Amino acid sequence: MEGLLFNVNNGYIEGIVRGYRNGLLTSTNYTNMTQCESIDDLKLQLGPAYGDFLASLPPNPSTSSLAAKTTDKLVSEFRYVRANAVGSLARFMDYVTYGYMIDNVALLITGTLHERDTRELLDRCHPLGWFETMPVLCVATNIEELYNSVLIETPLAPYFKGSLSHQDLDELNIEIVRNTLYKNYLEDFYNFVNNHPDMAGTPTAEVMSELLEFEADRRAINITLNSFGTELSKADRKKLYPSFGRLYPEGTLMLSRADDFEGVRLAVDGVADYKQFFEAAGLGGGPGGPGNMGGGSGAEGKSLEDMFYQKEMEISKGAFTRQFTFAVVYAWVKLREQEIRNITWIAECIAQNQKERINNYISVF
Amino acid sequence: MATQADFKDRQFLAVIGDEDSITGLLLAGIGHVTQPPDNQKNFLVVDNKTETAAIEAAFERFTTERKDIGIVLINQHIADRIRHRIDTYTQAFPTVLEIPSKDHPYDPEKDSVLRRVRRLFGE
Amino acid sequence: MSGAADREAVFPTRQSLGIMKAKLKGAETGHSLLKRKSEALTKRFREITRRIDEAKRKMGRVMQIASLSLAEVTYAVGGNIGYQIQESAKSARFRIRAKQENVSGVLLPAFESYTTEGNNDFAMTGLGKGGQQVQRCRETYARAVEALVELASLQTAFVILDEVIKVVNRRVNAIEHVIIPRTENTIKYINSELDELDREEFYRLKKVANKKARDTAAADAEMKEKKAQQQLLLESGQENEVPAAEGPDTTTDILAAEEDQDVIF
Repeated sequence: MEGLLFNVNNGYIEGIVRGYRNGLLTSTNYTNMTQCESIDDLKLQLGPAYGDFLASLPPNPSTSSLAAKTTDKLVSEFRYVRANAVGSLARFMDYVTYGYMIDNVALLITGTLHERDTRELLDRCHPLGWFETMPVLCVATNIEELYNSVLIETPLAPYFKGSLSHQDLDELNIEIVRNTLYKNYLEDFYNFVNNHPDMAGTPTAEVMSELLEFEADRRAINITLNSFGTELSKADRKKLYPSFGRLYPEGTLMLSRADDFEGVRLAVDGVADYKQFFEAAGLGGGPGGPGNMGGGSGAEGKSLEDMFYQKEMEISKGAFTRQFTFAVVYAWVKLREQEIRNITWIAECIAQNQKERINNYISVF
Repeated sequence: MATQADFKDRQFLAVIGDEDSITGLLLAGIGHVTQPPDNQKNFLVVDNKTETAAIEAAFERFTTERKDIGIVLINQHIADRIRHRIDTYTQAFPTVLEIPSKDHPYDPEKDSVLRRVRRLFGE
Repeated sequence: MSGAADREAVFPTRQSLGIMKAKLKGAETGHSLLKRKSEALTKRFREITRRIDEAKRKMGRVMQIASLSLAEVTYAVGGNIGYQIQESAKSARFRIRAKQENVSGVLLPAFESYTTEGNNDFAMTGLGKGGQQVQRCRETYARAVEALVELASLQTAFVILDEVIKVVNRRVNAIEHVIIPRTENTIKYINSELDELDREEFYRLKKVANKKARDTAAADAEMKEKKAQQQLLLESGQENEVPAAEGPDTTTDILAAEEDQDVIF
């Protein structure tokens, strides 16, 4: 049924995005890239995919400028797609940007709290999370003003409302603020894809639910693991878990009670995928072990974080097997982000002369 | 000669560097901001827009004015911008150490101390 | 060192000769001690320089590894955490303290790093994503900074030793090339002056002795003559029976005697 009318409004976008997806680097490209001796070689390898965007880079550019240019390409493509999107797809794409917006607002909050000139920070904001009224936020000189302008000017207002007051911004660690916002955002997004009349019951809802559930679980697990040894109490920690996902509610409850790596492992035992991750990562040792991405010392296994990324990419790749769905946009953004991370990683390894770890990139094509 | 009093209070490190170096070193825990109302930081982030005068001022502040800094770390490519100051700096305290940055690998030929070493051994 | 001109302004006396000899002895002992100190320091210095050279090269490597771990963080967090880190830095966890090491009487400071417990400005960083990488990165950088601190100690030692060795060498050279020759010159001068005085004294004494001998000879001759005259007189007096003791009488006697002589001749 959804296939009947989907292409009326969204066929072009879907076509474009699928085209973009085909432009993603493949494992052959990555293999070639890992053979590079210098950043210039790498630039040459990236030529077909990123040509125009890398043209303005000086010879042997720094890895950060390389990353910035590759991000530029994603941003300009995203903007193009967004400009052509209508109706609920447009809203869907806005939802995609909210995640970046949260990071930007968190940055501005940090700046305001320390009484810095927040205008300088605008350059540092992620361009995907840019919204027209963002410069307005810089007018705020204290946290209360900022809070009010965030409520009025940004689409993030619902995420603040009800869970954070302006005193909270002042008192709570910025990471807690950020994660609270992110939790609210994920819940809202989940709600949106499952309940919006255009999407409920369509492949979009199905695929996006899978992606968002995964994201929610990943965050819950990460927050739990990273909160060990910090002043974050279990009760506060529980508040940061999104209230959906494959772990929710039993797994989340167990996570909130976990004291160590073992506890987390028990909590995720119910979900086969995660269980598998933990078994793989658990070989590396206790709570200190699983964190390293291929690790400098113990380079044998993949880290939990790596496996999460891998899984995310696989789900995203899978999204393209479905037709008539908005999820391809989300999946494409995620795949492209991973590609940028891969390029940056490979570039770093080349620049820092650490070739032995260059193969830690994640490629699914 | 340096007297006891000269260095017993020196317990911090200071950094002048690009953002990545600073981030890493701060992660290691060397960052320190003095009590209000001064709020003096012991690090300076330098990018392309930072003026050389600002770097010199920070260098001056870390080496001369502040008495609680034992080691000043400075990225080599930034040290190059104020090379004349580094080369004429001969005090033992605080120690000025040139460190490589992420985008600029270390070049021993430029290091002021290593050059002194070379000169001494007549290489 | 232009010979006699370069000496201390002293009076060439035996006392100052004694002082100078003591001084020379002192200077020589001092010289050998300082020389040995300088050698010990130089040995140390060379060792330090070698270690600096190594450490500086090693540092390049260590910092690369650290940079890569920061890249890992960026990879995992999916964004730049620099600003947040800069703003949340409050109190140094990683500090240094200076201790001293004694090398041939030179106090070389050495930095020692320590971490203060219980303040962690970045505990929450990367809470939702990449926290483990952040932790790892912190450890990697902490190790890198430890290496840097070690290098800084070496470098400080290098700067101070360099200075001290210069001073010591200056002293050694000063003693060797200025003080000792000058003292020796002074001693030579005093000796020569004293010898000169001795010779003068001897000559003078000789002269005096000569004069004395001459005088004695003259006196002896006179005495002899006188004695001879007296003898003569005595002989004639015996004839004239003139008593030599009484003045006026003698005068009259002499007159009388002349008369007598006249009489005789």
